[in-house]
Amino acid sequence: MHAWPVVFSTAKKGNDPWEWEDGAASAPADVHGRGPRFAVADGATEGFGSTRWAMRLAEGFVAADVELTGRSLLDWASRAQHEWRHDPLLSGASGLELYKLDSVGAFATFLGCEFADLDGRPHWRAVALGDTVLFQVRHHRLVAQFPEMSADDFGVNPEGMPTARDALPDVIGQMRFARGDLAPGDLVYLATDAFAHWMVRERQKDEDRLWSVLSGLNHPQRFQTLVDDRRAAREMTNDDVTLMRISVAASWPDQLVVCV
Amino acid sequence: MTTGTYRQWVSRATPGCVVILLDRSDSMKLAWGATSGSLASGAALAVNNILLDMCVKATIEVNAPVRHYFDVGVFSYGARITGPGGEGVESAFGGALTGRGLVPLPELAANPVAVREEPSIDVMPVSVKMPVWVDPVHGYRTPMCQAVEVAGAHVFDWVSAHPDSFPPIIINITDGMVTDSPHQGATLQDWVKRLTSIETSDGPALFFNVFLSPTTSQEIVFPSGPAGLPLPGPELFALSSELPPPMVENARADGYDVRPGARGLAFNVGQSTLLRVLQIGTRVPDRSR
Repeated sequence: MHAWPVVFSTAKKGNDPWEWEDGAASAPADVHGRGPRFAVADGATEGFGSTRWAMRLAEGFVAADVELTGRSLLDWASRAQHEWRHDPLLSGASGLELYKLDSVGAFATFLGCEFADLDGRPHWRAVALGDTVLFQVRHHRLVAQFPEMSADDFGVNPEGMPTARDALPDVIGQMRFARGDLAPGDLVYLATDAFAHWMVRERQKDEDRLWSVLSGLNHPQRFQTLVDDRRAAREMTNDDVTLMRISVAASWPDQLVVCV
Repeated sequence: MTTGTYRQWVSRATPGCVVILLDRSDSMKLAWGATSGSLASGAALAVNNILLDMCVKATIEVNAPVRHYFDVGVFSYGARITGPGGEGVESAFGGALTGRGLVPLPELAANPVAVREEPSIDVMPVSVKMPVWVDPVHGYRTPMCQAVEVAGAHVFDWVSAHPDSFPPIIINITDGMVTDSPHQGATLQDWVKRLTSIETSDGPALFFNVFLSPTTSQEIVFPSGPAGLPLPGPELFALSSELPPPMVENARADGYDVRPGARGLAFNVGQSTLLRVLQIGTRVPDRSR
């Protein structure tokens, strides 16, 4: 069985596209038997260097030798913090920037996912901190949501990965883990909070329509239009938005579309 | 009753506007409660702290400009230190910003008068190195009407350029009674009414008041009625806008018991409360994540 992702994203309305402060990354299965990995992180706007932190978490998780255990994740996150804090970019920081780096730092919600045993008993395993959410959909029906959150649970002081060293052990202790079986035809979505919140509410209204719309997204402009329309209707918070859609199938797709 | 929605996000497309009116009358020379400093020095310190706070929030990444989330003005009334001197209203900014009205946040961040050791507004007797935009000054009387008039002119122009932004926030920090009412035939109430009739699509401008007392008295923060307020509390209560929903949320999150109809008024406050009130009054809807 095979799995491949596509990522849609857009920045807050009013911001430039390069000011998107989420992170998303994926990596194929490696030669040592580790399955494909996927990760999405959502950097806090009030932080400093949040984009670099969110990208470091997402890219690091899919590339690093880290297991989905608390101990391994703690070691990995400590290394990520060190690398973020010693980024060569910071050699040119102003006094105000260094002040914010020390006093506030960065913070990001995180969801990392690994697909395993794709040729045997295929399943996913995931780790989450905060309100970036995984939705697993089969035949236009939700079969798993992780973390399980109701519409009222979004937007209230979510947990997240900090750059503050002292806070890390407690935060790792708050991480949640889950797993679920995979089947050909499944679609797995990883969504940052504003989009995930909309998905949760939309599913209550018309589940068929929601999954039809999301499975039919085939171009970044269609995603942008969807987000613009929902924001204009005040159904979606004006936030950076990221949606990763992972397709699971018995064979690779016979066509590849590249949007430029 | 608040008539606006006060829900517009602050972004560079729809920046906010914060104006601080700073009393520099003679009575601001008095010592502030148990602190060793004067009302003028304590108020300047709090204003510098809130300006730094705004600059820090808009500092997002290394080698990136401070984001233009706000236009900020600080106007002093009482002693003038530029131009002809004497009594009047002027921009309280010094250095490269001398004489400037509303200043975009990136320009403010780049142009403090100095970076120096300042006492921390905290229980700990420590000093911290911080940028300074406003210095303590005191002298003459309290021409508050003129100050509201000057603020109104800047706010009117700003709203014309930003019709869909969160409405302007004007915070008046004073220790005394107005001495120039009526001014040009209009009372202080009239001037404030003119100011708060300026509005964006998100609601009318907000006018908040902070009254400082040199004596240690009971602090009254965000009252919902004028009863029990010593003079000039009832008058300031009547002048103060009702706290809009996002600021009610801010205040409650900060531990204040905010009742329905609470006004943006803080009475007999100490230094740390002044800073907290400024933080609550300048924290407008943003997307924190």
